[in-house]
Amino acid sequence: MPVTAVNSALELKNVVRRFGSVVAVNDVSLTVGKGEFVTLLGPSGSGKTSTLRLIGGFEELDGGSIRLNGERIDHLPAYQRDTATIFQSGALFPHKTVAENVAYGLRMRKVAKDEMAKRIAQSLDTVRLTGLENRYPAQLSGGQKQRVALARSLAVRPAILLFDEPLSALDLSLRLQLRAEIKRLHDELKFSAIYVTHDQGEAMAMSSRVAVMNAGSIEQIDTPETVFHSPSSEFVYTFIGESCCLPVRVTTSAIQDKNGEEVGLVLAHRPGEGDCRIYVRPSRLRLVGDATSLPNRLRARIHFIEFLGDVYRYHLKSGALELAADHAGAIGRNVGDTIDIGWRNEDMRIFR
Amino acid sequence: MSDATHRSIEPVVLRVLVAAFTIFIIGYILVPILVTLVMSFNNAAMIRFPIANWSARWYADFFASGQWTDALKNSILIALGTAVISTTAGVLCAWAFQRFHIPFRDMWYILIMMPLFMPGVVLGLGVAIAFGGLSIGGYAFYGSRELVMVAHSLWAMPLVFMLMEATFKTIDYRIVEASHDLGGGPVRTFFEVVLPLVSTGIVSSMLFAFVISLNEFVMALFLTDRDTQTLPVLMWLSLRSAGTPRLAVASVILALTVFACLTIIMLWYVRQLRKVSR
Repeated sequence: MPVTAVNSALELKNVVRRFGSVVAVNDVSLTVGKGEFVTLLGPSGSGKTSTLRLIGGFEELDGGSIRLNGERIDHLPAYQRDTATIFQSGALFPHKTVAENVAYGLRMRKVAKDEMAKRIAQSLDTVRLTGLENRYPAQLSGGQKQRVALARSLAVRPAILLFDEPLSALDLSLRLQLRAEIKRLHDELKFSAIYVTHDQGEAMAMSSRVAVMNAGSIEQIDTPETVFHSPSSEFVYTFIGESCCLPVRVTTSAIQDKNGEEVGLVLAHRPGEGDCRIYVRPSRLRLVGDATSLPNRLRARIHFIEFLGDVYRYHLKSGALELAADHAGAIGRNVGDTIDIGWRNEDMRIFR
Repeated sequence: MSDATHRSIEPVVLRVLVAAFTIFIIGYILVPILVTLVMSFNNAAMIRFPIANWSARWYADFFASGQWTDALKNSILIALGTAVISTTAGVLCAWAFQRFHIPFRDMWYILIMMPLFMPGVVLGLGVAIAFGGLSIGGYAFYGSRELVMVAHSLWAMPLVFMLMEATFKTIDYRIVEASHDLGGGPVRTFFEVVLPLVSTGIVSSMLFAFVISLNEFVMALFLTDRDTQTLPVLMWLSLRSAGTPRLAVASVILALTVFACLTIIMLWYVRQLRKVSR
């Protein structure tokens, strides 16, 4: 989804942030269209939170520029920026009630009394907290606290919402529930947002576009489908979804493992000579039946078997190569047995 | 077998020791206060034991005496002033330490804390010499209540600073950021978010400063005159002329005020704990 400068809500250009000798954010450029939901996805230390804090005004830029609705904001303090952050901890004011928390931003913006009451009721209704106006944060559950944080940010109607891993402190079922709710809210209200997370499930489920970050830079930015199916780099491939890595050496006559032993690996398209890493995903490997009819095959021994609920995971070994393959239901083979596994060309990536 | 006896004897010995120690400490702390309390109800003209007649006569005498009530009024005014000055200065100073990068931080820290460990004689003399001749617009500072407030704040301010520095560290800084994020400038954030979060620390600070000033004697002796002398100073002066039970009454009033302050601190603290864990 290409975004032109005209309808962009937020525009980062060559943004740099250093902490001492560490470059936390390295030349990041990013545009968020009006109503777009962009996720910054990456491991801890990849610079995603730093980038968000630069936009919110909690860190100072060492280079580059940030524009909000076309106007530069990077010289403004946080309290003069039309952004609203939903913090990981919620960061509610503990001495204020739910209604007072939501009212805070409106009071700072000098919204008129009756308009304020209307907006408080509206935002609390949006996050389904009507009736809890007079509770204090200490009287709320973790999920309710994050809903208040969301309502507090929505109430001020910012140019962009900044989510700083808002669900990471919650347990799984609540996380899934709130994730769906944020998605629903975005579909309904069409706010512009940047969402920081290390959870690829969240990123995939909610985003218009996903920016995968690594070591302070954006490795790939595209729709969730493209990032998942056509990762542009080895890092993106390994970070998104589960994968097995087969490090091999290709010679004129054979494919060897790291110890120089030949492995029973059949590839439809042999890579050029030299060292390379072949990646496959456990969910895409075929274990029984048509495995031998697929273009890429490997004979491997079952090392151990894990029952994961939905699937059985077979951990396999062939020489020094290790990989895992998932299968719905047991295949009737035991530890120590040698089996054939196969996969399609499009389910494999080779990096060197 | 010896193992078994050990196991049974050890806790008993320990418990006896703990009990004895507790009783000793409580007795040690309470005896002087209880003795003055008892003496204050003595009907005799001199502090002496045993008491022949009980009466509240010396309480009536205390509150009828202009000199003594003036001294009590001075003490309370100076303590209030000290509480306000030292809490304001200490809180702002501690917030600056928390909020901003300060060069030579440790050096400043030691400098701020230093007066707390200085003898009262040194500080009192220093303030007397430095400000003894100072007068602004015909108002001489020497002998004024304001000068004593400033001098007492030398002791109270570092204490407030220390207490508030520790309190500010307990704030979840994201909450302060949330205030900025929602459009709250530094001043509004400080008054609307930061101060309420540290209200326990501020109440404790004010009461501690109040108590320190109320009890202080040496600096007050150096810096007050007949019109501004505090209760401890008057007690000292009258002790040299006559040891009447009026002194015991003054002691009881001071002790009760201190006790009341500590009670308020405790109650406030418990209230805050309930609020957070509710």
